[in-house]
Amino acid sequence: MQVLIAQIINGLSLGSIYVLLVTGFNILLLVAMIIHFTYPQVVVFSMYITWVVLELTGNSVPLGIAAGVASAVVLNLVSAPLFQKVMTKRGEVDINSTMVLSMGIGMIITDVLSHTFNKGLPIAFPEALAGGAPLIQAGLISVSTGQVWSLGVGIVAVSGFFLLLYRTRPGRAFRAIAEDPNGARLVGIPILRTGLASYAFSGILGGVIAILLAMVLGSASPGLGEQVAHKVLAVSIIAGLGNLAGGLVVGLLLGVLEAIVQGYISGTWSNAIAFLVMLVVILVRPKGLFGTKL
Amino acid sequence: MPLPLYYYLSITAVNILMSWALYLPYRVGHLHFITVANMAISGYTAGFLVLNLHVPFGWALLCGFLLGGLIGFVVSLFIGDAPTFAVVIVGFTFIFISRTIIENLSIIGGTMGMFGLPNIGGSPSAHRWIVLAILYAFVLAAGFLIYRFDHSCLGRAASAVFVDPDLAASLGVNRKKLGMLVQTVSCTIAGGCGVLYGFIYKSFHLDFFTFALVGIFMTVIFVGGYTTQWGTVVAAPILYGVPLLLPPVVQSWRIVLYGAALILVLVLKPEGFMTPRFVRSVETFLSGSRRRRNTSLKEVS
Amino acid sequence: MKRVLSALFLAAFATALGFGQAKVVATEWQIPFLNCLTGAIANIGEYLEWGAERAAFEINQAGGIAGKPVKVVGVDTALDPQKGSVEMARLVKDSLVALGPVPEPVIMAAMPIAVENGMMSITATTSLEYAQKFFPWTVSWFPPTEERLGMLVAAWGKQFPDMKNIVQFVEPYGPWPGMADAHAKGLEGAGKRMLPKVEVPTDAVTFGPLAVKALNQKPDGIVFVCNAEKVGKLIKELKNRGWKRMDHLLVFSSADAPELYATGGADVNGVEIYNYIDPNLNTPRWNAFKDAYAKDHAGNLPPSLSTNYYDAVYMVKQAIEATGVTGDPAKLMDERKKIADYLANVKSFHGIMFNWDMKDGIPTNKPTFIFKIQDAKKIMVLEVKP
Repeated sequence: MQVLIAQIINGLSLGSIYVLLVTGFNILLLVAMIIHFTYPQVVVFSMYITWVVLELTGNSVPLGIAAGVASAVVLNLVSAPLFQKVMTKRGEVDINSTMVLSMGIGMIITDVLSHTFNKGLPIAFPEALAGGAPLIQAGLISVSTGQVWSLGVGIVAVSGFFLLLYRTRPGRAFRAIAEDPNGARLVGIPILRTGLASYAFSGILGGVIAILLAMVLGSASPGLGEQVAHKVLAVSIIAGLGNLAGGLVVGLLLGVLEAIVQGYISGTWSNAIAFLVMLVVILVRPKGLFGTKL
Repeated sequence: MPLPLYYYLSITAVNILMSWALYLPYRVGHLHFITVANMAISGYTAGFLVLNLHVPFGWALLCGFLLGGLIGFVVSLFIGDAPTFAVVIVGFTFIFISRTIIENLSIIGGTMGMFGLPNIGGSPSAHRWIVLAILYAFVLAAGFLIYRFDHSCLGRAASAVFVDPDLAASLGVNRKKLGMLVQTVSCTIAGGCGVLYGFIYKSFHLDFFTFALVGIFMTVIFVGGYTTQWGTVVAAPILYGVPLLLPPVVQSWRIVLYGAALILVLVLKPEGFMTPRFVRSVETFLSGSRRRRNTSLKEVS
Repeated sequence: MKRVLSALFLAAFATALGFGQAKVVATEWQIPFLNCLTGAIANIGEYLEWGAERAAFEINQAGGIAGKPVKVVGVDTALDPQKGSVEMARLVKDSLVALGPVPEPVIMAAMPIAVENGMMSITATTSLEYAQKFFPWTVSWFPPTEERLGMLVAAWGKQFPDMKNIVQFVEPYGPWPGMADAHAKGLEGAGKRMLPKVEVPTDAVTFGPLAVKALNQKPDGIVFVCNAEKVGKLIKELKNRGWKRMDHLLVFSSADAPELYATGGADVNGVEIYNYIDPNLNTPRWNAFKDAYAKDHAGNLPPSLSTNYYDAVYMVKQAIEATGVTGDPAKLMDERKKIADYLANVKSFHGIMFNWDMKDGIPTNKPTFIFKIQDAKKIMVLEVKP
């Protein structure tokens, strides 16, 4: 029983990583109609910026966090015009062009990280951010501060963004611009200011995700983004594109599934089995388990 | 023939063929990444047949094609008309599953890989010429078939599905059958490519067939132009060859340059360099110059 | 006109590809090194290259090889078999000898070209099981896996009579599963019981599930056969779940890399690790190497693999001087064969750490060591000689 509980907790921890990344991915989809396939790489870049500032400032956590969030916002705002330019059909998700554009961005980020930061070696975050001893430790069960924060913030972020996008005026404005900029302009929504705000919001979320990943994982490497990118896309598709609540549920379920397979069957089969399950789901429900929200 | 030229030409041919294998399903809007898994499955199968069962290469190559086609056909029964996202997931799934199976099968080398594939034709030189000949015959055959497809009612139907699947269906296009056709042909091409890829290196390793290959082929299609098969023919040799000529200092930033090139092309020319309009203007120019030549010949005579 | 221009372009391109790399120049020895200078393991490629260039620097300071300076020419394969094969195809035209390729996928793609053209390319970072497929056109840097590792890991196990049940974390990459099997045989021979291994996915991001799976089997000892970064993280997870006997953890040699210390930090203190080099050696040559490395790498100690291609360059020097090779392009094939024959059976080669012999391309008397890690330094525990 202890093993099962430990694995479920491990699975929730892994799942919370997916939830955070899928939420950021879905936000970009909802406010800008972008399939940012390499969003995890952007988050990893923010992790690296956080690490650089921590190194330069003698582990000043507030400055590190501020730097991580700021870098994510800047990267989002810089890439925004590129995505806007390539999207041929506004009001619909142009998976192909935005996905390929994000692949180009991802290639650049990963290569720059392997070339320049820390000579391509993995980076380790200080205990001040990553935490030291576990919060709870009982036999095989171990829960760290970072895991609690990432799961908690993941749930809060999903709820918060859901409320923002579907229950507030600014949120409706963000979605209006994404779906129909001309219509939005006609009803008096300031396009430039609101558009920039929507990108900035998703950038802030990206920065927060970077900090939380630093807390959960304690380290990062240039290839970290690529390792999770396929799963993030898959979770989003299985849940239903743009479905925030669906992303939360499926992300956590995938994490638990992977943990159970690694714990009881085989580590090397975990990806294959996880994707096989997702494949069956998508064949039965092509629009995703919870339906798209676009 | 200089050795570097052989490797350049042979790998370029594989890149062209595999990019076409992605281009075909993309004509109906599907990103069919299962082709990379097909390469691995057919390649390893053929390698096993040749090394362990001493099957002649020709039969092993044929098996590679058939196996690729069979997998493509069976899978297309389920995803022939599925949304793009479902097809993407299928591709990822097959890549993960094929990798896991291969790394756990010691009979085909497992994680070590498969060594020592024999020379076709008895000597290294003969092997190279034969592989090159087969590859470029394959390029010509596949190119011809794709050209005929593009210029047929099936090609027009595919274009309609790409632009508006519902409208295409209402006009009587059978999306499922069309999807099945392009996916099966695409996987058949990939199966053959996988066998030839391994015989270029005379070995197989899991890391020959990774997600990075997907990135390469996608870059070729989107930079070259995804609306016509000629984009691949132009982009594949350039994207593979130009970085080989760069000075070492620049080469070390090759991936950044690739990414930047991809972004620039997408922003400035979203359809890629070669568009149908460009191809038509080249065709017009060529036919115009033929007419002018014929006219001047007539005048002389 | 267009056809002529196209033909000229193709010819120029072919020429560039065919002659793109440096030829053997009369005034210096050029040793191309097929290395992963970009890509996921570029950091490893960097210190491998550093080691080779350090050797070239020292050799040139001492007068060169047979009076001519030597230059190591880095050739990036970017972990890409497509690139690796073309680069090797270029090298075999003119080069006397080469270093690399790195790593295994590129070896698989490129070494058959070296073999076909009768050129030695020293693959100094891969196992015998890979290298021997390409004999005699490479040599193995490592002795037979099963024979050597079995003995080594058994020696580790015998230190701890209380350690009865052992589990391994194994990542499915290249020769590593074979090494894990060798460990298992050695430990079983030493009277230990091997528990079912825990497979580590190559793209694992969190390691809690794997740690729980291992600990659930109630092992007394754990051996790690996965990449350095993963080992560091696994050890952290084990500690978080109450693992206390750090010396009952053994890390294999391929994980003895900076990533282990970067991700593991203080949590890897007390863990034991085996390797083929002893960083605590006190010789002028090794001290000079260490100091030079630290100067170029912010005070860090040289990783264990950094000496491999250093020694490889010295081996090439010895081969050239012993065989009287001239570097004359007209004698290229003969001189390549001479170098290959010499290196396959070199006697008492003076490596930076120790002397060793090669017999038919296989090292016969390299020592191995078991260390304890303390504050990113290694303290000798055992030397295990064949």
